Amino acid sequence: MSVALARIDDRMIHGQVTAGWGQQLRPDLILLANNAIAADAWQQRVYAASVPPEIGVEILSVAAAAVRLAKAEETGESVLLLTGSPGEMSELVRLGAPIDRVNVGGMHFSAGKSEMLPFVYVDRQDLIGLARLLDQGVDLMAQQVPGGREHPLDDEQLRAMGERL
Amino acid sequence: MEGSVMMRALVITHGDIGEEFVKVAELILGPLEGLEAASNAGHSAEALIELINNWLDREEGPALIMIDDYGGSCATAAQLACGERKDRFILGGVNLAMVLGFLTWRENSEAEVLVQRIVDKGREAIVRLGGS
Repeated sequence: MSVALARIDDRMIHGQVTAGWGQQLRPDLILLANNAIAADAWQQRVYAASVPPEIGVEILSVAAAAVRLAKAEETGESVLLLTGSPGEMSELVRLGAPIDRVNVGGMHFSAGKSEMLPFVYVDRQDLIGLARLLDQGVDLMAQQVPGGREHPLDDEQLRAMGERL
Repeated sequence: MEGSVMMRALVITHGDIGEEFVKVAELILGPLEGLEAASNAGHSAEALIELINNWLDREEGPALIMIDDYGGSCATAAQLACGERKDRFILGGVNLAMVLGFLTWRENSEAEVLVQRIVDKGREAIVRLGGS
């Protein structure tokens, strides 16, 4: 299995990922798919510096990340894949990334977003991205940290949430 | 220090650690200004950067951000908010000695010297007092 964890987290690389999931899964590589950060050398350096030396880190555009994941399938590398939003994760799936389950790990409050879970706030765009992942045959599991409570997300919950927005 | 603007500081941490540092510093030194705290709780990376930027933009002059954990969201946001400006300092591993050192020395020290003194003080505060 090349993708040990595919996680949506708007903090991207941070303690829950490196110390929490990283220690539990011990991946070969943390792969962040984010077009803006991939295009900015300074931001790349700052985010990459958060990763402990025993884990590799690559920050690529969404399109390049899909190619990198295909390579990881061949090499057998274990990858902890991150995106900052559901839409980017769904785009990776569309591009053929081998993802059948997504960890919804952290979608924090910002203006225009409403609470679905204490660590998952969504707006219409987020719901569209999450619903698209379900349509693509991906299971969604909200869980912040290893050993934390798991909350499966299904169509019905997304629909109910959409009516509240 | 005559002719220079006194440095202000923001302690930004996981949970309420930073807020508690400020409270304890006030218990020890009395009411104070120029030291504030913020938490990363509930904030996305973007929101945290905006919070720090708002604090930085509020006043001119040198600014110090002390964070708890190197490699966490506070550290990343602080670095991205401060950019490569030379008058914005970031220190990781904040402890009480560093906070008290900042408050004690900031009136009489040039920024670069003050920051190094705080680093030294923070390191000196980590001592083994018991065990073998």
